[in-house]
Amino acid sequence: MKESRLMLIQYATAVVAVVLVSVHLIMQGVIYPYSTAISFSNMLSVYRNGFYAIFLEALLVIVLVHGFNGVRIILHELRQSAPWTRWVDAGTVVAIVAAVAYGTRTIILAIFGGVAG
Amino acid sequence: MAVGEERARNRRGIRGWLNPYHYNAERWAYVFQRVSGVAILLYVIGHLGDTSFFVGGPTGTGPSASSWAFIGSIFENSFGHLILILVTLILFFHGTNGIRLILTEFGLIFKKPAAIEYPYKAKSLGSGQKYLIAVAIAAAVLAALWAFLVLFEGMG
Amino acid sequence: MSDVRLVVQRFDPFRDEKPRLVEYAVPRREGMTVLDALLYARDYLDHSIGLRFSCRQASCGSCGMKINGRPRLACYTQVDELSTEKVLAQPMDNFAIIKDLVTDLESFFAKHRELTPHLVRADTQEVEHPTAEFLMSPEELERVLQFTYCIKCGLCTSSCPTVATDSKFPGPQAMAQAYRYTVDVRDEGGDLRLAALDDAHGIWRCHFAGSCSAVCPKGVDPALGIQLLKRHVMSGKAPRKQGEGAKVWSPPAQKQ
Repeated sequence: MKESRLMLIQYATAVVAVVLVSVHLIMQGVIYPYSTAISFSNMLSVYRNGFYAIFLEALLVIVLVHGFNGVRIILHELRQSAPWTRWVDAGTVVAIVAAVAYGTRTIILAIFGGVAG
Repeated sequence: MAVGEERARNRRGIRGWLNPYHYNAERWAYVFQRVSGVAILLYVIGHLGDTSFFVGGPTGTGPSASSWAFIGSIFENSFGHLILILVTLILFFHGTNGIRLILTEFGLIFKKPAAIEYPYKAKSLGSGQKYLIAVAIAAAVLAALWAFLVLFEGMG
Repeated sequence: MSDVRLVVQRFDPFRDEKPRLVEYAVPRREGMTVLDALLYARDYLDHSIGLRFSCRQASCGSCGMKINGRPRLACYTQVDELSTEKVLAQPMDNFAIIKDLVTDLESFFAKHRELTPHLVRADTQEVEHPTAEFLMSPEELERVLQFTYCIKCGLCTSSCPTVATDSKFPGPQAMAQAYRYTVDVRDEGGDLRLAALDDAHGIWRCHFAGSCSAVCPKGVDPALGIQLLKRHVMSGKAPRKQGEGAKVWSPPAQKQ
């Protein structure tokens, strides 16, 4: 992918992340008092709200793409050998996929998993 | 490479990224943007880990009140809250400064190039940039204050 | 008036293991520049100081060095404006050291050449054997004028944080000149430069630290040129294609 496309993704995810993270913080500290927001029962009801689950998934993807792409840029500036470049590019994709997968697992299990004691 | 050539190399390396001393405000903002970005990513990765305890952690199968209470017992204390306040501080700086950078890198807040006069003050480093950096710092401080009130004073 | 305490970094990479700082007491004169102090030290105190200079009037760009931690032209920096007890002169960062204050500018010039720093046109016959000037209005000239003041001193490249680690990065000077030629109405070679810059080590590794513009002694403001060029690189479209450059002036038709 051309670097200008990757940077467009970086800028777009930045702008969207500002909005989504703001909403996330408002949910955690303004809509409810913080202690209520992080209580087990409240967490269960928000995860099982379809809109909020989609919102969380979007937040996950946007923030991780932006963050790992940022680290990719930093690592590209650090060293310029061909093997390093290949490993950094591959590592970025692996890191994004792995982190998104782990976070998505949490969301899916929260919605569909059986509630334990 | 000959020893002399090795010694002659004079690139500043990572110190060139991290040491803005003697330079302009925008250079300081660059350092904080880079450091805060890495710090936020590390926090986010940790956050994915701790929120996964809602479903019993890496080996869990669904929402578990006991697992959630366990992770709460580790992080829901004054020290954990101080970390959250710090994260809020750097998050708001990173986001607000990032908006400044997007506007700047698309050339949306610059005056057009024109004939210049001594003492050659750079248009790209004008008061607009300083103002927006100040806004980023103010946003960070206000957000951290809000986080303190939410976490320590129960506001919300 | 007390003497100037001039501290010079001395280092010959092929003879010395590491740099050392040597102090020289230079008689102070009102209005003296750091270059004046260095030349006094070289002429009367230590003939072996390696120093590059030429015009002494901020036109040639030869005397670029790090003075009190910041890239400056030695001929353009008065000792009194530094307001410190000592004046510390070191070679510019991010350029290989030849000896003492003299640095190797070859890779700097190579990066400049790589971005086609000249007008490119389809009508090469007219370019090489001109019949008249190319039409360029005063407003069109103003768009590029400040960028034409570059004296290739290297201070901007020395101050850039990306240059500190990325050897493939063109640096602010080369990219500002790429902007200067790409938006010049006479130029048709924008596509070449944009393609070269849209790279993992190209224009996108500039993060607007702005130090290049902060240290430029001629008001070129390379950071401005680079950010304005990013739009063109993002769209992938040069301002003009082949054959769309400014026309050649032709005399008005004579009235009979």
